[in-house]
Amino acid sequence: MKSYVKLVNFEFNRYFKIYVVLVGITILCQITGVIFEGLRFVKEAQETMQHEMITMEQYAMNYGPISMYDFIETIWFIGPVAICIVTLLIYMLFIWYRDWYGKHTFIYRLLMLPVERLNIYFAKVTAIFLFVLGLVSLQLILLIIENNILTRLVPEALLMEMSITSLLTFDILIILYPPTFSEFLLYYGAGFLFILVVFTMILLERSFRIKGILLAACYGGVIFALLLAPILINESLNDYFYPIEILAIEGILALMIGTVSIMLSRFLLNKKITV
Amino acid sequence: MIEVKNVKKRYGRKTVLNGVTFSAKKGEITCLIGINGVGKTTIMKAIMALTPIHSGEILIDGEKVNKNTFNKVAFIPDMITMPPNMRIEEALEFMADFYPTWNQTRAEEILEFFRLNRKDRIGDLSKGNTAKANLLLGLALDVDYVLMDEPFSGIDIFSREEIAEIFTSHLVEDRGVIITTHEINDIEHLIDRAIILHEGRVLKEFDTEKVRELEGKSVIDVMREVLM
Repeated sequence: MKSYVKLVNFEFNRYFKIYVVLVGITILCQITGVIFEGLRFVKEAQETMQHEMITMEQYAMNYGPISMYDFIETIWFIGPVAICIVTLLIYMLFIWYRDWYGKHTFIYRLLMLPVERLNIYFAKVTAIFLFVLGLVSLQLILLIIENNILTRLVPEALLMEMSITSLLTFDILIILYPPTFSEFLLYYGAGFLFILVVFTMILLERSFRIKGILLAACYGGVIFALLLAPILINESLNDYFYPIEILAIEGILALMIGTVSIMLSRFLLNKKITV
Repeated sequence: MIEVKNVKKRYGRKTVLNGVTFSAKKGEITCLIGINGVGKTTIMKAIMALTPIHSGEILIDGEKVNKNTFNKVAFIPDMITMPPNMRIEEALEFMADFYPTWNQTRAEEILEFFRLNRKDRIGDLSKGNTAKANLLLGLALDVDYVLMDEPFSGIDIFSREEIAEIFTSHLVEDRGVIITTHEINDIEHLIDRAIILHEGRVLKEFDTEKVRELEGKSVIDVMREVLM
């Protein structure tokens, strides 16, 4: 356990610089964005009000007030979120492959540590998951700050004030911040399972190289088909199962896939891995 | 004792090890000799479970390789196994963190012997100093066996001399060492046993001292005789 925690800490520190940059980009983009969008809206509203000689209330009635939801749809908000998601997806591959390539093949050292090799796998999974949770928490704090900034920049009559809880029911935010614990388990469990499967596919490739690419593709394909099967079967049966039953079947399947992925990764790391 | 028994290994269709059998004892320096591609590095990787074998068996003091093996055997590959952005002192901390067998006093001693600067980043080290830092990471472990893959590869004569000096010091004494090298001249006088590999098999295994005394032949003479 101690070595696992040390490995997580080590993995976290290795990515920390890139992570700080990501956090910086997100904060900078979103705070600049909310100020820019807020001021732009006020300026445009004032110009229209002057030109049409109408009051703020009339402007809000004719053209609609601004809300945080308008900001969430802009590139200022979506851009950094997309950058973070793409970077983390790339990092899921990079976290393994960087240890194999280059003059300094750190994978030798990792595999020669006097610890269960599965700890290396779990440390990398945990590090990725911690990065995700960290960014999601940051986004929540930023939403509160951005909401505050918008309230200060835009006159009350031109602003449709939104509580953070109502804001979190929109689009991508409902996935990032699920309203119920079961939905949290569903979305984050799916994310966790995705990491386990991708890591197992990477280890298949690292163990069998060219043949491994084929094996990894087959493994990913079979899992995708397995997860899709209950939905397709239910459709062909004209929705014979209740949604909750489909969810339960998917949950059991996910647990099985997760267990198989971990066991397969353990086998590959102990018996098949090649440096 | 490290026992390699009838080990077979293929890379695709190419057979690299075709029933290799030998043993290396504690307190002895065993040198694996052979031309490039003969499977010397593969044997070392197989001992450390860094590559799977297709058949045969490898035992360390009678046990199959497991996580505790890494507290008994240290492998020093021909390239350093730490990230380039890490400082030497951070690499030492890493080793101390994970290896119960890490000997900090010995690490300090080797650091001083090789005149390495603990603040230097591994990626900035010269080839010679990289090889020395690599040796430091392996030799500062209190292990019974050390595997060294081409420790003299591509480094200058003075660094080679310094590294060769290590073999006569207490840093290596009493341990079992398996070494592969092309620079056989540098360590010929230090080797206890030589194992000549050819086409994935052990062609000849001999006690260097005996061959020198009884037949008046050096390791290179025997190599010439067997391989040419």
